[in-house]
Amino acid sequence: MSSSSTALRDLQSDLENKANDLSKLQKDIAKNHQVRKKYTIQLGENELVLKELDLLKEDANVYKLIGPVLVKQDLAEANANVRKRIEYISAELKRLDSSLQDLEEKQHSKREAILKVQQRSQSLQAGKAKA
Amino acid sequence: MASSRGGGSQQVIRTGDMEKMSLDQLKAVKEQADIEVNLLQDSLNNIRAATGRLENASAALHDLSLRPQGKKMLVPLTASLYVPGTLDDADKVLVDIGTGYFVEKTMAEGKDYCERKINLLKSNFDQLIEVASKKKTLADEAGLILQAKLKQSSPSS
Repeated sequence: MSSSSTALRDLQSDLENKANDLSKLQKDIAKNHQVRKKYTIQLGENELVLKELDLLKEDANVYKLIGPVLVKQDLAEANANVRKRIEYISAELKRLDSSLQDLEEKQHSKREAILKVQQRSQSLQAGKAKA
Repeated sequence: MASSRGGGSQQVIRTGDMEKMSLDQLKAVKEQADIEVNLLQDSLNNIRAATGRLENASAALHDLSLRPQGKKMLVPLTASLYVPGTLDDADKVLVDIGTGYFVEKTMAEGKDYCERKINLLKSNFDQLIEVASKKKTLADEAGLILQAKLKQSSPSS
C-alpha cells in the first residue's frame, strides 16, 4: 500500500517538474516570437531604405544620423552598410526560425510525456481505490 | 514606419467544421478571431495615421515650394522656441528614408517620394482591409453558431 502511495507522490512531483518545464518552454517560445517580430520590422525598414538608395544618382548626398549629428556619407558606403545590416538581420531570423522549431518540438514531446504521467497516475489511483 | 507584419499561422476554418465543434472549442475560436480582428484594426489605424502624416508632409513641401528665397520665417528650435530666420534655397530638401538615413533631394524628388510612400501605404491599407473583413466575418459566424448552440443546449420552454 505504502509503495503505491510513494509511487503516486513520485508521479505527482514528476508531473510538477514537467509542468514547470512546459511553462518555461512556452515563455521561451513567446520571447522568440517577440524578437522575431522586432527583426522582421527592422528588415522591412532596411529594405525600404535600400530601395530608396538604389533610386539615387551617383552624386546624390546621403547623410546618416549618428546621435544628434547628421554626418555626410558616401552613397556606396551607405549601400554597403544597409546591405550588411539586411544580411545580418536575415541570418538572425533564420537562426530564430530553427530555434523556434526546436522549441516547438520540445514542447510537443513535453506535452506527450505529461499526458503519459497523468495516465499512469490515474491508473495508479484507480488501482488504489479498488484495493 | 507602418509595415505589414507576418501574422501567425493562418487556419482556414469553414462553417461546416464549426458546426461540429464543442461549445468550448467554438468559444476559443471566436475569442481568437476577435483578438485577431482587434489587432488588424490597430494596424489599420496605424496605417491611416501614417498616411495622414505623409499627406501633411506633402502639403508642407508644396507650400514651401511656393515661398521665395530670402523670405523671413520663424525656425523651430524646440517645441516652444522659434527663432527668426530667412529661407535659403528651397529647392533642396532632406528626406528621412528610415534607419537614420537622410537623403538630399530636389523639391520635385521630395514630392515624388511622398507620393510613392502614400501609394505604398494605400495599397497596404487595401490589402489589410480585405484580410480584416474576412476575419470579421469569421468571428461573426463563430458568434452566431455559438449562440445557436447555447440556445440548443438550454432550450427555453
